Amino acid sequence: MPSTPQLSPQEEQEKLLEEALSVVKNQAFQMKRCLDKGRLMDGLKHASTMLGELRTSLLSPKSYYECYMAISDELRHLEMYLVDEFQKGRKVADLYELVQYAGNIVPRLYLLITVGTVYIKSNELSRKDILKDLVEMCRGVQHPLRGLFLRNYLLQCTKNVLPDVEEDSAYVDPATFFSFFGSDSGTVMDSVDFIHLNFAEMNKLWVRMQHQGHSRDKERREQERRELRILVGTNLVRLSQLECIDIDRFKKAVLPGVLEQVVNCKDAIAQEYLMECVIQVFPDEFHLQTLSPFLRACAELHPNVNVKNIIIALIDRLAAFAQNEEGSGIPTDIQLFDIFSQQISQVIQNRPDMPPEDIVSLQVALINLALKCYPTQVDYVDKVLETTEEIFNRLNLDHLEHGSMVSKELMRLMKIPVDTYNNVLTLLALQHFGPLFDYFDYKGRKLMSCHIISNALENETLIPSQEHVDSILNIVNCLVQDQNDQPEEAEDPEDFAEEQGLMGRFIHLLQAEDPNQQFLILNTARKHFGNGGDQRIRYTLPPIVFAAYRLAFRYSHLKEEDENWEKKCQKIFQFCHQTIGALIKAEQAEIPLRLFLQGALAAGRIKFENSETVAYEFFSQAFSLYEDEISDSKAQLAAITLIIGTLEQMSCFGEENHEPLKTQCALAASKLLKKPDQCRGVAVCSHLFWSGKTAAHEGEMHDAKRTTDCLKKGVKIANQCMDSSVQVQLFVEVLNHYIYFYEKGCEQIAVQVLNQIIARVRELLPNLEANEETEQINKHFKNTLEHLQLRMEAPDSTVSYEGLVL
Amino acid sequence: MQTSFSGGGTQTKMSFFGFGQSAEVDIVLEGQESRKTAEIKTEDGKKERYYLYFDGETVSGKVNVTLKKAELYYDRGNHHEFTSLVKELARPGELTHNASYGFEFLQVEKPYESYTGANVRLRYFLRVTIVKRISDVVKEQDIIVHTLSQYPEMNNSIKMEVGIEDCLHIEFEYNKSKYHLKDVIVGKIYFLLVRIKIRYMELAIVRRETTGAGPNTFNENETIAKYEIMDGAPVRGESIPIRLFLSGYELTPSMRDINKKFSVRYYLNLVLVDEEERRYFKQQEIIIFRKADKQRKNYQQALQHHTSTNPPNMAPPGKEKGDSEDSQEQNDAAGDN
Repeated sequence: MPSTPQLSPQEEQEKLLEEALSVVKNQAFQMKRCLDKGRLMDGLKHASTMLGELRTSLLSPKSYYECYMAISDELRHLEMYLVDEFQKGRKVADLYELVQYAGNIVPRLYLLITVGTVYIKSNELSRKDILKDLVEMCRGVQHPLRGLFLRNYLLQCTKNVLPDVEEDSAYVDPATFFSFFGSDSGTVMDSVDFIHLNFAEMNKLWVRMQHQGHSRDKERREQERRELRILVGTNLVRLSQLECIDIDRFKKAVLPGVLEQVVNCKDAIAQEYLMECVIQVFPDEFHLQTLSPFLRACAELHPNVNVKNIIIALIDRLAAFAQNEEGSGIPTDIQLFDIFSQQISQVIQNRPDMPPEDIVSLQVALINLALKCYPTQVDYVDKVLETTEEIFNRLNLDHLEHGSMVSKELMRLMKIPVDTYNNVLTLLALQHFGPLFDYFDYKGRKLMSCHIISNALENETLIPSQEHVDSILNIVNCLVQDQNDQPEEAEDPEDFAEEQGLMGRFIHLLQAEDPNQQFLILNTARKHFGNGGDQRIRYTLPPIVFAAYRLAFRYSHLKEEDENWEKKCQKIFQFCHQTIGALIKAEQAEIPLRLFLQGALAAGRIKFENSETVAYEFFSQAFSLYEDEISDSKAQLAAITLIIGTLEQMSCFGEENHEPLKTQCALAASKLLKKPDQCRGVAVCSHLFWSGKTAAHEGEMHDAKRTTDCLKKGVKIANQCMDSSVQVQLFVEVLNHYIYFYEKGCEQIAVQVLNQIIARVRELLPNLEANEETEQINKHFKNTLEHLQLRMEAPDSTVSYEGLVL
Repeated sequence: MQTSFSGGGTQTKMSFFGFGQSAEVDIVLEGQESRKTAEIKTEDGKKERYYLYFDGETVSGKVNVTLKKAELYYDRGNHHEFTSLVKELARPGELTHNASYGFEFLQVEKPYESYTGANVRLRYFLRVTIVKRISDVVKEQDIIVHTLSQYPEMNNSIKMEVGIEDCLHIEFEYNKSKYHLKDVIVGKIYFLLVRIKIRYMELAIVRRETTGAGPNTFNENETIAKYEIMDGAPVRGESIPIRLFLSGYELTPSMRDINKKFSVRYYLNLVLVDEEERRYFKQQEIIIFRKADKQRKNYQQALQHHTSTNPPNMAPPGKEKGDSEDSQEQNDAAGDN
């Protein structure tokens, strides 16, 4: 056929279509001209010639469609003309017979349908039989493409004339008293039969396309079939438009026929599309009443059908329906969940080859349904999880590789209750939630665990009992301790820190109303986290210790109600001591040191029996950590500063405990390795002797002599510094300490001292190299002087700066 | 002068003396203005319209002789007369003025139907011969004879399973074996096995005209109708409806051994054409007969269904509804005239 061989297939199609359309145009023009002149027979002849274009086998489905559309437009003109003529009372005798003389079947049937429709429109009496005749006669076109379009034309023409009445009884028009509908005008059931038959035939043709031609064209053919599917689906749309179909009819007469056809055609493309079509075109109320047959049909579909998508589409629709405020919701007599649950398991059973991820997807849909339609029924969700677990067991699946489809789906499944309930406690009520964790590989478990913990944190879900703690920590076990299947190589430290940080934050959610319960909780948590290994406990034990201190404070507030509070506090501190010990064993120093100090502070404040001893113990432990474990000079300075600061804050110690501690601090400060550190250490130490407190005395001790001794020592050490920049810096810092105590009224400090230091700084400062550091020192110094200036000028100043030279 | 009534035969003549002039002869049939006419093909394929008579009907009328120039008649030869009736209208003598003579052939047997085929023509005509001394004046007037049949008592359907082993098996059914000229053939083709790629299927009506006898028998086949009944390739289990209206085609009744000279038979030829243009066919004889015209059928008969088990349930537009205002429209739609 190609006239020029170099035409591409597409160009050839365009050319063929163009030719066809020009014939259509020409013949249509002549047809209309004949009709205008009243020459009906000639008009029909042109119509028939025009329709001859639809006999072609050369056009692709797309081009054929265009040709069909052009022709059906023109046929509408013919139909309108004939309806007009009939209404004018013109006799067009035997037209229905006449058009059947056309020798070729395709034009003949198009004309027959057109004329048949006109007859029906003019006289409903005949419609039942005409409809039946048309749909039967169309069997003559067995060519899939031509047959599909022919029958689509039939559907289109009969769109508005299908009987849609309940009863097959005469209807009397009240205006004319004329019984218009005869006994043959048909009922809605005739329409149903008509569409059923047409649907079955179209579907057969559509399926047949699959089996024609070379297997190498399979992909193209399937694409073409997909393009044509709407033609078949229109049947279902038509069914859904019949108003007389109520739930009962749908259930008994409409759906069974459709499903039978779909199931029996055994074609995956058809089944997949048509089942979705059924879901989409009929109302939710109908679906609710026909779930079982529909889902049973799903179970019988071709193995290649993605049945999961179909069921999920249905579930999603019904779930949306259940949530729709305007709707009446799910009728109570329909056990939606049970039906789906049963039928889905049937589907899974029928399909041994179904990929596990699809099985899980179905469970995802089911769990969505349960959560949306029955938000309060936790047992439904649990049932889904149980089923999933059983399936995994049966399939012998475990250690689902992270990133695999099934792992992804399972994760989706399990995240749904997490994200829906937004309550970890509800998750714990699900018996089968935790066990499903075992089917993930390490990475999967970890991601899932992080998700749960993050959810708890976001929602600030408090975990109120020991048992809950136990369960949840078991579930997220992979974040708590090492796993057998964990990879050899160490994890990315940032990720690890982040993940353990989550756990640390989570510990703060472990809160019971009852303090005794809280203690149990902490013990349980301690047990779990204690097994976490050196790396994890850095993150997890400190929060436990802090929570324990907090609990001790709670007991102290409850001392009126709980006579055993002191013992309990003691126990708590023992617990903490031991917990901190675990951290020390893990070769940690700085954290335990701080925790001890914090504990000492807490014990000192709570003042239970033996609290001074406990505080002293904690404090001395901190000290020994300082001495034994902290070697870095910077860390040493920071640690001693902390220790000094803590001691300064405490007031529980008697003289006999306080004195050694003070002295130790001063000693330790002066024994720091680097001069600047020494200087700063002793300077800080000075505060111990000024604002330090003991149990024996009310208020701060204000030991002016030892305070100034410390400062003098600081100045002395500063003098020894070689680096002039550091030296100046130290002078300025010491100056500030002096000023502080001077203003506090320390009588041992003379203005002269201040003058000396200021003069010294003034002397040294200009010699410093100009750089950023110097700039900072300068600024510090200037600020200090400004402060003094302001003080001197302040009229109500209680402090006299007489003699100060600025 | 005489008139003769002939079926297919050679002329008979009687002397009619005393004619000096030419005369124009005109035959006027009794009740001519109200008599039906029918068309018949002539040998050259044109159609002519003549008055229609049936078997046993009296043929009567008048012969008018107008004195005028004479016309010649050439014998065509090779004609076989199977019936001939002769009546003398006037004694020999001289005709000096226009005259009119009545004639009547009472209840003439006209056993065969007028027919024009490829190799045979069967005609009835009236001939007036004025026998003169030198040349006779002859006037012929064709009439058409239709033979009417009763609706056959036995009219079984034609049902048959045919096929080519492991290739194609079909079962076809035509609702009758005898059809009248305006009948409709209803049937279906049921595909039992299809292993070939069928492109289309058509039903043809073939007329076989057999002339001569013995070794000189000559058959002439002519396809009267070609009617596509299926487009595309069916699969096993498919049932294809047939409905073919006969009235649109130029059919004659089937004829068998007419005057021992010729037969006309009709066959339905079912043809399946595959994608390699191979044709598979099955011929089946059907009997065509003429039945008396009744009131024209209305369109609803056109709906007559191919499923014989499920006869159409078409109530004709009832007269009982005719008193309603819309009755006119209903009748129109019914195509009743």
